[in-house]
Amino acid sequence: MAISSVDKYARQKSLEILREKFALVAKRILEGKKPVLVMPKRVLSNTIYDMNKKLLLLGPEMKRRSLLDVNEARKFMQTLLMASIIYEALVNDEYPTIRDLYYRGKHTISYRDISGKLHHENTWDEQRESDAVIRDIEVFLGVLREEMLILSKEKGKVVGNLIIKSGDDVIDLSRMGHGAYAIEPTPDLIEFKDIDAEFVLVVEKDAVFQQLHRYGFWKKYKAILITSAGQPDRATRRFVRRLSEELKLPIYILTDADPYGWYIYSVFKIGSITLSYESERLATPNAKFIGVSMTDIFGEEEAAKNINKLASIFGKEIKEVISKPKKKAYLSEKERRNYIIKAKKKDVERAVELIGYDVADKLIRNPEIKKYIRQKKLGVSGYPWFRTPEWIKEISIFFSKLAKLEIEAMASKGLKFLADTYIPTKIETGDWID
Amino acid sequence: MGVMSAAAPAERYRAISPAEFFYKYREIAGFSNPARALYQAVREFVENALDATDSHGILPNIKIIIEKADENREFYRVTVEDNGIGLPPHVVPEAFGRVLFSSKYILRQTRGMFGLGAKVAILYGQMTTGRPVEVITSQPNLRRIYYFKLRIDINKNEPIIIERGSWRKNRDWHGTIVSMTLEGDWSRAKQRIKDYILRTAVVTPYANIVFMTPDGEIYYYERVIDKLPRPPKEVKPHPYGVDLELMKRIRDGGSFSTVKEMLMKSFQGIGKVTASSLLEIAGISPDLSPKSLSDRQLLELVNAMKNYKRFRAPTSEALSPLGEEVIKAGLKRIYEPEFVEAVTRKPSAYQGHPFIVEVGIAFGGKVPLSSDKYPTLLRYANKIPLLYDEGSDVSTAVVKEDISWDQYLVKLPAPIIVLVHICSTKVPFKGVGKESIADVKEIRNEIKLAIQEVARRLRVYLSKKLKEEEKKKRVVSLAKYVPEIVRALTIILGDGQGVKAELLEEKLVEIVSLRTGIPKDEVHNVVKSVEIGV
Ligand SMILES: Nc1ncnc2c1ncn2[C@@H]1O[C@H](COP(=O)(O)OP(=O)(O)O)[C@@H](O)[C@H]1O
Ligand SMILES: [Mg+2]
Repeated sequence: MAISSVDKYARQKSLEILREKFALVAKRILEGKKPVLVMPKRVLSNTIYDMNKKLLLLGPEMKRRSLLDVNEARKFMQTLLMASIIYEALVNDEYPTIRDLYYRGKHTISYRDISGKLHHENTWDEQRESDAVIRDIEVFLGVLREEMLILSKEKGKVVGNLIIKSGDDVIDLSRMGHGAYAIEPTPDLIEFKDIDAEFVLVVEKDAVFQQLHRYGFWKKYKAILITSAGQPDRATRRFVRRLSEELKLPIYILTDADPYGWYIYSVFKIGSITLSYESERLATPNAKFIGVSMTDIFGEEEAAKNINKLASIFGKEIKEVISKPKKKAYLSEKERRNYIIKAKKKDVERAVELIGYDVADKLIRNPEIKKYIRQKKLGVSGYPWFRTPEWIKEISIFFSKLAKLEIEAMASKGLKFLADTYIPTKIETGDWID
Repeated sequence: MGVMSAAAPAERYRAISPAEFFYKYREIAGFSNPARALYQAVREFVENALDATDSHGILPNIKIIIEKADENREFYRVTVEDNGIGLPPHVVPEAFGRVLFSSKYILRQTRGMFGLGAKVAILYGQMTTGRPVEVITSQPNLRRIYYFKLRIDINKNEPIIIERGSWRKNRDWHGTIVSMTLEGDWSRAKQRIKDYILRTAVVTPYANIVFMTPDGEIYYYERVIDKLPRPPKEVKPHPYGVDLELMKRIRDGGSFSTVKEMLMKSFQGIGKVTASSLLEIAGISPDLSPKSLSDRQLLELVNAMKNYKRFRAPTSEALSPLGEEVIKAGLKRIYEPEFVEAVTRKPSAYQGHPFIVEVGIAFGGKVPLSSDKYPTLLRYANKIPLLYDEGSDVSTAVVKEDISWDQYLVKLPAPIIVLVHICSTKVPFKGVGKESIADVKEIRNEIKLAIQEVARRLRVYLSKKLKEEEKKKRVVSLAKYVPEIVRALTIILGDGQGVKAELLEEKLVEIVSLRTGIPKDEVHNVVKSVEIGV
């Protein structure tokens, strides 16, 4: 098998960093000093929303993982074990998946306690444990797993007028038939050869992606069509980011009108909490939320009804965004009755986490839900990147209506409506949230 | 109704001798069946042997032999030898042949005190086997050793000398050897007797004790300490403990010219002033001759003494506590515990009787596991082990009800023994069995305070130990990862390129040892025990 030169270079670089970092660990030990691994803390409290860059970033807090700390010793061992497995895979020109790494490192350590009793302990039990260790190694080395040629399951798909080079093959993404190109786990090794597109449309739902693909949406509107098939993986996010940054294409994100959809959008745009150390590489600050928005369903008058309640929290400025309702709903009263779904308690909880308890408490009218949320979420402050006038407007409708809607509903109204009316209109009129 | 029939048989009256009495009612003295009798006989002679040694400042050497004495019948010969003060030869027949003859009818703490034990055993042996008792004895200052073969005339309560003899001492021996044969039941008495001797050995670390059984076993408890408990002193009675009988005995026993003199010379804590005020209260002229006092007057005097509030507490000089050192040495000798502590409380008194409580606690080592209700109890009264009726003893009540053991970090069941010794000129036994002590408020309180004091020291020890164990556990939880870490580092850095696996391991062991304070070889042992699977 011929190994691409790009891979080779990545391997060499990762190996060097690995050796260098762990040589320091060994040196400390040989000097009789406490064995420690110093790395940034990967926790919510050390995740910072950078207002200027509009990115979720890893904060400055460092943790010292010491072998001499009873609570950290196991993790210390796991980190070294994982590092050695990754090292061997790099040296042997392998492409392990995170599941492979889990299996390769899983074995028992047998030992006797002071009284001589024999004990057995697994190096790790579930893959969740080894995955966490991989993330620790990424932050400890400052090297991403893709750069260490570690693969994960492919999830994202893409079609459009785009020619790429992957490995040593050149692929034309406009000639995929009814299928699509699966975005590879190491998107940085892709080379963009040729492009003829004006924007990128990322669809949360795989089914809607397929419908638009067969409808010929991307040909008609010169789009690159992508789906993340739910929560986006790292590869899809990195690929979208590269389209935005290197090809300067506008990115539009289409999700369900519910808290999960909104969060997916925010992951694309600013990063995720668990992988905040990668935001700089994975986030696409220019991504725009094109829909489906609550005002598309209910019209802007609905938001205007909440204006005084919101002003009591956010002050007068909010009025400017909400006060003059211009836009009519895309759905008729009857369609709404057919398509919208009652929000579940879990949806409401999730929405509170995004926007904060104060907004929910002001706007929820249903006394039962209101009480429930008080018990569960009192004091939750919400994420700063959602506490913007546009999102407040959006989510306030969700609270007052306690309703959500899936993109499929728009397609049910007619695929033609979705492809030829809804999406183009939204793009043309600039009707999105940025 | 008619007149009572004149044909009623005439009652016949006669007095029986003390010997006959105890012969008939031997179960009162513990000789109710062959098993019990064998056990009781051993006890009586061992206690006499100890009384003849440790109470007189002699480090005891005691030998107990039980042997089968008849091919066909369950006859056992019990021989107990001591190196005590011996007996003057003219006293021997009386001491072993007349019931209620004793040298211990004085106010002083001894094991025996009724002049009964040896004789009831001898009577029992005589009745069941017909064989006489043999006594060999010599006192330290005598040049000869005396030998007697005796029998008891039950009707007359008198010794019958069957044989006697003496020979010159050619070595410096003193002591007594008593040998007698009785019908017994060794297999049923075995456990009791062994227990009794073991428990005796616990409180006599200053004694060499040899015990040979009919099964051919030999138990040897070697002396581990040369210190004897303080010997008891004979003291005058305390006025609170007096009664009419005692008062009469005192009057008849001495020649006092006045009552006042009698009071001042016969009791503790009565001087001129107190004597005068007592007599005034009783309405007796101080110059009267004691012999002229009527019983009524004596009773007035007794009552005046009992109600008088200002006596000093009774002296404890008559008591012979074991002492902390002896208790610790004794517990160590038998149980080799990891922790042992003891305390001797200050003397205290109940109803005019002085008493001292001592407590020892042994933990770990060869100490057997206790029940899950309370620690194993070793009870003693005046140095005699109490083996039965534990449930009704005051010490049992204290360890069960007054002490919460978990407060002292003792998680029952645990390898823990609590030794409680109560010494007094009058131990408040419960019932005739003399195997348990009554729940007297003052005594219970002293036992509680004593146990608490020692248990507090145990807690200090256990909490230290716990911390130590925690530390060791911690070391294991670090050291077990060393081999995996060394392996990983050598893979990444390459064994050849200056990073030696052995050196890394050595250094890691050193670091772990240094930072936890656990010796290097212990850390090494854990590391060496590790096996990495595939
Ligand atoms: N081994 C012995 N050594 C010295 N004196 C002894 C020994 N055994 C018994 N005696 C004397 O014999 C007396 C009677 O003993 P015993 O019948 O057991 O009654 P008690 O022990 O209650 O006084 C004792 O008081 C003691 O003076
Ligand atoms: Mg006796």
